[in-house]
Amino acid sequence: MTFTGFIGYICMFPLRLIISTCVALRIHPNILTFVGVLINVAAAWALGLGKFVTAGFIMIVANIFDFIDGKVALELDEVSAFGGFWDSVIDRFSDISLFIGLIFLYSQKGRTDYVMVTALAMMFAIMTSYTRARAESLIRKCKVGFMERPERIVLFMIGAFTNRMAGVLWVILILSIVTVADRIIYTYRELRDTQQALA
Amino acid sequence: MKNPASLPARILWNAFFWTYERTTWQYDVMVLAILAFVWLTPPDWLNDPMSSGNGPIGWLIGQLR
Repeated sequence: MTFTGFIGYICMFPLRLIISTCVALRIHPNILTFVGVLINVAAAWALGLGKFVTAGFIMIVANIFDFIDGKVALELDEVSAFGGFWDSVIDRFSDISLFIGLIFLYSQKGRTDYVMVTALAMMFAIMTSYTRARAESLIRKCKVGFMERPERIVLFMIGAFTNRMAGVLWVILILSIVTVADRIIYTYRELRDTQQALA
Repeated sequence: MKNPASLPARILWNAFFWTYERTTWQYDVMVLAILAFVWLTPPDWLNDPMSSGNGPIGWLIGQLR
């Protein structure tokens, strides 16, 4: 088992319990998704106040909701096209709110440089999701690039708990740019190959 | 997708054009590299607005001088 696989395995124990509780209470997955974004807004508020450790703990709670909604939907047999759409849209709000919290914090501190780094990281984080969504309307699958949402969220938590948010923002920015580039190149090549096969 | 032929070029290309799943050893290596950057880079080098100091690398450089 790999290092990251082992961490995932350990984390699944408490998550299984939470999923079972939500299934037993028959909580609708779309409600779980919405509660997740509200808690993420609270995390963004804490980031904006510079209370990184508090924000880290709130992010853990918020992302438990984010993680379990799909699993609960499966177990309750409530999987729907709207549920998938709702989840994706709400995830973008959650992402953006965390970045806005940091932009507020750095602007309060008069740090235009990090306002720009955070704003650019936010732009490319959103573009990471957009490029995949748009590509998958043209090709079957576009799952390339490293920096997806779970990686971003874990990095935010690491930055918050260890007070290394600047390093985390640089990593998110650089790897999000690379991921967007990967997806553009991959989609271009897939479409070109399809056209050549048809010709 | 075609890779450049030599090993270092192939490693760089595969890191850039990422197609590995989570929980593979390649993913672990990438995660460890990111954690090393985040935790070992001195906050002063990045001009971190919320943290200061030289961090472990700065300490090590200080010891070596």
